[in-house]
Amino acid sequence: MATNQKATFWMIATLSVAMAPQLFRMPVPVVIMALLPLLWRIAAEIRGWKTLPALIRHGLTAIALLTLYFSHEQIGGRRAAVSLLTVMLTLKLIESYRIRDARLIVSFSLFLCATQFMFTQDILMPLYGAVTVILALVTLTHLHRNEAYIAFDKTPAISASLFSELGFSLRLLMLAIPIGLSFFLFFPRWATPLWGIPEATLDSKSGLSDSMSPGSIQNLFMDDSPAFRVKFQGIIPRSSELYWRGPVLWNFDGKTWHGNLFSVDLEPEPRPDESKAVWKYTVQLEPNERHWLFSLDYPATTPFNSRITSDFQILRRQPVTQLLQYSIASDPTFVDSPKLADNLKMAALDLPRGSNPKTRKLIERWKREGLDGPALVDRVLVYFNQEPFHYSLESPLLGSNSVDEFLFDTLTGYCEHYASAFTVMMRMADIPSRIVTGYQGGWYSGMGDYLLVRQSDAHAWSEVWFRDRGWIRVDPTAAVSPLRIARGSLGALSAPRHLFDYSWLRGLRNGVDIVQQRWNDWVIKFNAESQMRIFSSIGLEQMTPPMLVISLFVVIGLFSLLLLPFIFRVKGPSRKDPLRAVWLKFLKRLKAAGFEAIPSTGPSELAQAAARHLPQDSQAIYQVADLYSRSRYSATPPPLRELKEAIRKFHPRKKHRLR
Amino acid sequence: MSEPKDQQQQPRAVEGRQARLLEAQKTVNGILLGKDQQVRLSFCCLLSRGHLLIEDVPGVGKTTLANAVARVIGIDYQRIQFTSDLLPADILGVSIYKRNREEFEFHPGPIFSQIILVDEINRATPKTQSALLEGMAENQVTIENTTHPLPQPFFVVATQNPLDLVGTFPLPESQLDRFLLSIALGYPDPIAERELLTTEERSRMLDKTTPLLTSDDIKALQNDCEAVHVSDDLLDYVQALLKETRDDRWFETGLSPRAGLYLLRASRAHAFLEDRSYVIPEDVKIIFPGLARHRLTPSSGFAQSPDEQIAELLEQVPIR
Repeated sequence: MATNQKATFWMIATLSVAMAPQLFRMPVPVVIMALLPLLWRIAAEIRGWKTLPALIRHGLTAIALLTLYFSHEQIGGRRAAVSLLTVMLTLKLIESYRIRDARLIVSFSLFLCATQFMFTQDILMPLYGAVTVILALVTLTHLHRNEAYIAFDKTPAISASLFSELGFSLRLLMLAIPIGLSFFLFFPRWATPLWGIPEATLDSKSGLSDSMSPGSIQNLFMDDSPAFRVKFQGIIPRSSELYWRGPVLWNFDGKTWHGNLFSVDLEPEPRPDESKAVWKYTVQLEPNERHWLFSLDYPATTPFNSRITSDFQILRRQPVTQLLQYSIASDPTFVDSPKLADNLKMAALDLPRGSNPKTRKLIERWKREGLDGPALVDRVLVYFNQEPFHYSLESPLLGSNSVDEFLFDTLTGYCEHYASAFTVMMRMADIPSRIVTGYQGGWYSGMGDYLLVRQSDAHAWSEVWFRDRGWIRVDPTAAVSPLRIARGSLGALSAPRHLFDYSWLRGLRNGVDIVQQRWNDWVIKFNAESQMRIFSSIGLEQMTPPMLVISLFVVIGLFSLLLLPFIFRVKGPSRKDPLRAVWLKFLKRLKAAGFEAIPSTGPSELAQAAARHLPQDSQAIYQVADLYSRSRYSATPPPLRELKEAIRKFHPRKKHRLR
Repeated sequence: MSEPKDQQQQPRAVEGRQARLLEAQKTVNGILLGKDQQVRLSFCCLLSRGHLLIEDVPGVGKTTLANAVARVIGIDYQRIQFTSDLLPADILGVSIYKRNREEFEFHPGPIFSQIILVDEINRATPKTQSALLEGMAENQVTIENTTHPLPQPFFVVATQNPLDLVGTFPLPESQLDRFLLSIALGYPDPIAERELLTTEERSRMLDKTTPLLTSDDIKALQNDCEAVHVSDDLLDYVQALLKETRDDRWFETGLSPRAGLYLLRASRAHAFLEDRSYVIPEDVKIIFPGLARHRLTPSSGFAQSPDEQIAELLEQVPIR
């Protein structure tokens, strides 16, 4: 049962569309391994090449598996698994010549299409998925018709056009919508995912990490995707107050900043008082496969399944692999650590020995001038402000004495450089200090009533500690480029350097985000809680999962009942042909009596067969058939009413079998 | 004022002819036992002015059928055994110079008969075959610039042995097309065979058979058949059938429009034989295999015989 060329191209198209978004997530060698068999098959189909010998096919499979193994360094984990599925499917293409194979490939393409949702919950993905599903359905329809022709060596004279196949597929999809909706509403949902994704297999792609070296945040500036969205209840903080706290970095090795193990293990002491927390808000965090939950200073409540460290990072127990919503309250007036433990103080002062001598000299000069404590902090900020520092994303790479080079040679950099240099200078002046990374600002959507924070809003700032005053936030970048804080990271740059920098495109992008937000609210976020809310609103308070499953089947059953008349319709009686409508009625009665007519039999032939089957009604059958035959074929047809009358009177008795 | 009279008389005349026709059919059935269907098809062929091809192994009654039909319809009958050395002149006739009258005189060959049995048509050379087939197509023969019309009715029954192919010249498709129907007789069923073995010899029965029809009757009956009504719905069905044969998934080439005309003509004759004034799809379905089996070659790759293919094709075309 070979597929014809048209079916083959449909199959290839389905697979291509299904795998296209996955290709962007795969390492380049794997992409090549996935595209090679696909391109070969297309070429083979056009040029009429023969099947590859088995040895080459097996060889290709082996090469593909090795490529996968070395590119992903593991077989396991979502990405590697999806790559495996993709590559295996395209490899299957080179040996798929039968309808069975084609159907297999199309079905797996549907599966591949579903794997998208493990990576993204973007609003566009369901649309893309719908296109893929329609394409797959058209292909399946085509294959099915193809098979019907071939399997029985007979070809019904149906010239199936693309539109008829498309129409049929759309009809099928429409029929599936109520069932899909029922599953969405009724399928039992758990608070946690049904299956956990092993943590080791996560491969973070974006967002902040627990280390910071020159360039690490710069990459984020180019990433326009949303990091999280915030809805405030009540007071909305000013833009300059929107410092979203993420990883806190203590240890500096001369080039890279790292987190501190002590601070992470400790509980904050004292803790902010929840009753004083004035900022109450709900964060919808995009999956980033990391542990940090972002909050404004200082979080007074702990979101579910997470803990707050002594430096006020909120760490979730599991990494965020799907859209996560948490509510939190913050108290901006809280004083963080009026007393600092000795080991933490040591960590907040530690510097690599003998590095950045020029900077050290500058600090010592200021100290000799009698500056210390807060006054020195101000002096450094003034220095940043008055020296010709330049805020730019294009900064030269720095060597081992990075702070020296930055302060005296390049004078060009962005938040990372300023925060890093400032913190190092503070430590040189014996002021405990640390770096906080996170996001600053956000775009407030008046229409959507929420704040959108993008990856490009990533920011780094410093905190200095003074006895009794605790940790105080100092943002040296603000001293250099106040616009960075006022307008957001990209607003601080003189020329657009990204497609989305153009304001109208940015506006469009922000508009799309409002739709995405609604989608998140209504669809992605729909969880066990929202499910219960819906049922309790119609008076069903205690829906247990088994009850949900039962309701699901009841609803689907009811829907199927609605479809029943359409399913058992013999064939739509045509309004143009009243004779046929009457005749179909007759055939229906015969069918009810256990005799099914073959479409290729003429009326009198049919009457003979039916009479044999229902001998006691033979006379009536012959009469009807004769009337019909005459109505249709003779030169002097009897009036239609005669036939109608005869059929009206026709009530065949069901044949009784002897036992 | 004679017209109404005519109209009144005609049905009676038709009835008379038709009754005798049915009687003739019955007589042939009595001689050729258990072959009602083939006999009916032979009569359809005769009534629709076509020619008949009988393809079967020797000894199943091909000649008997042709003989019996010729006998009951009481028309001029000739039998020609085709051999490889037969020449066109042996069929068509020759002009011989008459010295006393100083002119050529035409001596008509066996083709100048109303019913001709051509035995083993595939044994003669293509030249001789085409001499006959031209006559079948044109109802006239041209010899030395003189056109001689053939007697009417003109009915050729040819036989062909499909198994014995050594030293034969199989008819090309264009010539097979001259035959309206092709039938196979097949072995008789056990009851018919027992009767055949026990009752008197067929040839003696043939001798005793008296003609029931005249050639004028045949001509009139042929005209009667043409009056059988064909409705639009039936034409739809015939066209659907023709269209289906042209789909290359079944046969290498489909049926020609001429074959379609033949199909309709023979279906009319069949309806007439059934004593019906209109054609129904069942008539078409009975005629169709005989009409199609020698015209269609199954597409390569099919293990089925043309007959099986045709039966399946008929099952595929729905009747409204």
